[in-house]
Amino acid sequence: MIKLCDLTLGYGHRTVLSHISLALERGSFCAVMGANGCGKTTLLRCVGGLMRPLGGQVLVGGHDVATLAARPMAQLVAYVQQHPQTDFEFSAFETVLMGRNPYQRRLENESQADWDIVEQAMRQTGTWHLRLAKLDEISGGELQRVMLARAIAQQTPVMLLDEPVSNLDVQHQFGIMDLLGGVEGKTILIVLHDLNLALRYCPSLILIGQGGVVYHGPTCEGLTPENIERVFGVSASVDGGYIRFLH
Amino acid sequence: MTPTTRTSRPYAWLPALLSVLLVAAVVWSSLAGVVKIAPADLLSSDIFVNLRLPRIVTAILVGAALSVSGAAYQSVFRNPLTDPYVLGVSSGASLGAAVAIVAGLENSTWGIGAAALLSALATVWLIYRVAAIGNRLHTSTLLLTGVCLTLLLSAVVTFLMVLHQDKMERIVFWTMGSFSSSSWFDVALLLPVVLAGSFVVIYLAKDLNLLLAGSETARSLGVEVERVKRLLLLATTLMVAFAVSSCGVIGFVGLIVPHCMRLVCGPDNRRVVPCSLIGGALFMLLCDTASRTLLQPAELPVGSITAIVGAPLFIYLLYRNKKSY
Repeated sequence: MIKLCDLTLGYGHRTVLSHISLALERGSFCAVMGANGCGKTTLLRCVGGLMRPLGGQVLVGGHDVATLAARPMAQLVAYVQQHPQTDFEFSAFETVLMGRNPYQRRLENESQADWDIVEQAMRQTGTWHLRLAKLDEISGGELQRVMLARAIAQQTPVMLLDEPVSNLDVQHQFGIMDLLGGVEGKTILIVLHDLNLALRYCPSLILIGQGGVVYHGPTCEGLTPENIERVFGVSASVDGGYIRFLH
Repeated sequence: MTPTTRTSRPYAWLPALLSVLLVAAVVWSSLAGVVKIAPADLLSSDIFVNLRLPRIVTAILVGAALSVSGAAYQSVFRNPLTDPYVLGVSSGASLGAAVAIVAGLENSTWGIGAAALLSALATVWLIYRVAAIGNRLHTSTLLLTGVCLTLLLSAVVTFLMVLHQDKMERIVFWTMGSFSSSSWFDVALLLPVVLAGSFVVIYLAKDLNLLLAGSETARSLGVEVERVKRLLLLATTLMVAFAVSSCGVIGFVGLIVPHCMRLVCGPDNRRVVPCSLIGGALFMLLCDTASRTLLQPAELPVGSITAIVGAPLFIYLLYRNKKSY
């Protein structure tokens, strides 16, 4: 579903990630992990077509992202930013409704079907009761869930989620991860910082460090004490499917 | 179940109400003035057909153009303080008009208008060239360049006025803005531009909403951000340039009317833009009619009326909105 071919990413002359080649099957639920500033967001932005790679190619569903127009791209990939803008006057409901934009024509109003899809997405993420609130009136965790609801309402085969659970309480973290793990057929790339959350929910893992991909494969085989030490500089032990830090 | 407030178009009647008020304002403006004309004689009256009516239509078109552009700018720049003149259209036009007046064209309305139009378009083109990186428009650079060039060009206009003190009054009067010399020629120039420009903005109203959420979000929700921005700026710049060169710089309308509409009917540009179109036309027509009837036969500058009437209204709406929190 997602194929990266000899991808090099960066800003101007500063290269962040170089020569990445990997492929993700349709239906993968894959965690993207690595230290701060290692290029996780850059990778997601590039797969989402929001920035051009310095070299190489991204294929999503067989299409070259660089040449795909915004509308077909938005029907293919939903992207949840790490820091969404909230300084605007729209309500949470209207914000989620914007997720239906890729399917609407101009000068055309939302259909009943759009409204139903939005309601379902908001109920799934536990944000339906916030529908009339403005985005700057709700908490950081609630905001993340509203943004996730918009990505769900977008009904795309691929979702790119940049730390969508970082502000959530434990109960909602589990709820959202259950929800994401439970959808059939969607390819999801999710940036996480909680190693145990990744271990528990995401079958596959991309570990980023030292300007490239350190590991790509099953999560349980990738989160070894050696890899954790190498990427995060923290010693840890893995016992019984649980990571304990020795710090 | 569908949610009730804030999402289900609570003010769907607003465009209809504004349209009715606009028709009433046209009737009032047709009858008001130094020369009293009986309603039955209107169409046979030269004063009405060749002076009052073109003036009414021009005020409507300019009010609509400025308000629609203001609404679009405020969304594109994600900044509530932007007005249609922020990209230097007004200062460019003023400089063109001042040069034309100094060069001896002070009695040719047509000459001043043409000079103002060319100079306005050249100014905006220059600003675009500065702010465009490749084919991307950097909006904050665009704003800063606009503000900077506006200051520079105003300084040049001041300079011209000091050097040509005999023409100072004429230049000052032009920059204050007035519909007193509006003719059918102005209408013929403005009408196609305002119709086409407003259509573009209304057509892209949903994209404007998404731009408010930030350009990355807009792009990931299917908006061709750069293309839409360029199209919007082209449409609005042309509208504002034609408006300014036909009647001078009339402030406040483009800033305040979209805000008032937003305060009444919410942030959705699919409502804000059409309401601004009708509301801006109505507001400008009322202000112009007031400017020529309040102290008749003298005429007040219409720009001062827009500010004196508009500012308190705006402050009242802000106050009312504050209480609803």
